[in-house]
Amino acid sequence: MMSRPIIGMGAVAATGSGVDELFESLCAGRSGRAELRGFDRTRFRAQHAYEVDNRPAEGEDVPRRATNLLVEAIGQAAADAGIGEDLSGIPILIGTGLRELRSMELWWREGSEFTDAGLHFGTGLRERFNADVTHTFSNACSASLYALALASDLLGQEGDDTPDTVIVAGVDVLTESMYGLLERVHPVPPDRVRPFDRNRTGVLMGDGAAAIVLRRSDAGAPRVHGLLRAVAVNCDAYHVTAPSPEGIAQAMRNAYSLAGVKQSDVDLVMLHGTGTLLNDEAEATALADVLGSGADGPLTTAVKSMTGHTSGASGLINLIVGLRALNEGRVPPTVGLDEPVDEAASFRFVTGEAAAGEQLRVAQINAFGFGGINAVAIVEGTR
Amino acid sequence: MSTRTTGVVVTGAAVLLPGADSVRALAQGPAAGGDPVEPATHVGRKGLRYKDRATQLGYALTSAALRDAGLLEGEKDGTLTVAAETVGVVASSNFGNLDTVARALDTIREETVTATSPMDLPNASSNVIASSAAIRYGLRGPNLMVCNGETSGLDAVHWATTMIASGRVDRALVLGVEPDNDVVRKLLGGGHAVDGGAALVLEAAAAAEDRGAAVRARIGAYRRSAGEQGADQGRRWRLPEHSGRASGANGVIQCAAAVGRFDAGDREPAHAVVGGAGDDASAGLVLLAPGAAR
Repeated sequence: MMSRPIIGMGAVAATGSGVDELFESLCAGRSGRAELRGFDRTRFRAQHAYEVDNRPAEGEDVPRRATNLLVEAIGQAAADAGIGEDLSGIPILIGTGLRELRSMELWWREGSEFTDAGLHFGTGLRERFNADVTHTFSNACSASLYALALASDLLGQEGDDTPDTVIVAGVDVLTESMYGLLERVHPVPPDRVRPFDRNRTGVLMGDGAAAIVLRRSDAGAPRVHGLLRAVAVNCDAYHVTAPSPEGIAQAMRNAYSLAGVKQSDVDLVMLHGTGTLLNDEAEATALADVLGSGADGPLTTAVKSMTGHTSGASGLINLIVGLRALNEGRVPPTVGLDEPVDEAASFRFVTGEAAAGEQLRVAQINAFGFGGINAVAIVEGTR
Repeated sequence: MSTRTTGVVVTGAAVLLPGADSVRALAQGPAAGGDPVEPATHVGRKGLRYKDRATQLGYALTSAALRDAGLLEGEKDGTLTVAAETVGVVASSNFGNLDTVARALDTIREETVTATSPMDLPNASSNVIASSAAIRYGLRGPNLMVCNGETSGLDAVHWATTMIASGRVDRALVLGVEPDNDVVRKLLGGGHAVDGGAALVLEAAAAAEDRGAAVRARIGAYRRSAGEQGADQGRRWRLPEHSGRASGANGVIQCAAAVGRFDAGDREPAHAVVGGAGDDASAGLVLLAPGAAR
């Protein structure tokens, strides 16, 4: 697989808007956790989430928040890459877990305006950016890395009419149905996201969006943030919600193979780390198996401890944070991780303060979704 | 954007719609007044409980298309005739899990979260159609859910083609399905959805040849853009109005109808077209009869 330059980046989450602000907040260990802002709290046992604080009034939700966050992230990435705001003809691949289902919910219960054309993001992106080659992939929590894999395949095609530039994005905001059903399956309602900690109680959702501009070559690019070496995707074909360590490990091995790297080349692992009882142990088991005797080699961190689980956006947020970490030698900590689970005992977690002054070149980005859909990306910094 | 893809072929197809249960019947119709599709008569009752209608329809279409392509053999859920990692899934649906979302939300609002069913959690994730098909039939290749509005079905064929052409996977099941229910009808302003769908098996020509599979159609040029698609590049086929809104299933159903026509010996290329001036974009895909000149 050919390496492709990443020439623009944009992101927004509870912890900040813009890659600079997001990265600095994460390095400072600032969490976006707060009491539920847009839902009636009396309906739920869990009371907290990691939402972007942009609603017009406390406790009142508004439609199109996912589209608005997506537009914000894509706008940042396009400006960063210097490609302007008319994105007609440029493929935009959007990974999402929940599409505009929050707008659908508000239509269903409160009668706000909504049609079936508003379920996917093409309509909003056509209005804002004149974009017409838009693709909404609803691939649960690995959606944006799945979209990245497809972008990579698209750039790998030969022919006069194949694109030189592809935008990959991810977005999700809380929906009441998913927030509720997720807390429903936890014996104790989760209070905060504590990835890989033995006393974690589970996952809470977060709002977020991220976008990158990926190009066939770096010719004419104002800046290059890093290189996408490869993305591997697969499916466990095991269970609708429970992960499989074997399937996850296979995705990691495939990613190394496609990228032409060895386990020992990986300097940083941006873990999926949702804080659910099942994910963290499965992910740790798979990573420990794949790294073998080198499990204490790479630095590891899980930023969902500060952004919450941004679902379809999370893979790309991790990729952007990971690239910035490679280029600056600084790695945000995993907040709330005090006692790692046994499966992760050998990992070099960044906890407490951010790591600084590190020499890092290659990062592995993990994203796993319901249905056992796994995606693992390998990126290289420019430093 | 347009691509002139070559080297990807169709080796299996299936359709389940009221009034059409084969690609040849689809190409002729489907007839009005057909009975609703009953997934249990196709795949048995086992494992259907707690699955939403779209997922159940997806199971039946997956089984039928994989068997049609010679990739699945034997009783009950069958056994794959190829390695599990070599089969991906690309599913397309816009309305798939709207009923689960609405029902869970109603319960939360009218009672509390404690009254919701944990069994609804997987169905609240929009990719449940694609992942459930993979789990039931053991398909371990890339697994993708396309929810892309009116063009979604042809976009799904395009992404399956792209992943095969790039060497990411040898073959992929493409599934297009839309369920009909009260939530969907309200969203459509009183109209109804097709309550069924179609499936295709797309395969690298070399992989099909290696296992001696019959080629039923070849995938030609795909194009997605704003506005209409322009001049026809092959015969157009449209699902009759009485079948209802096909939405994310439409593109896959049109491809299945083309396969039905090719199976009957017709060689004229087909031009599947979805979306238009009233949508965010339109998409077109040319399908060629096996052995026909390009």
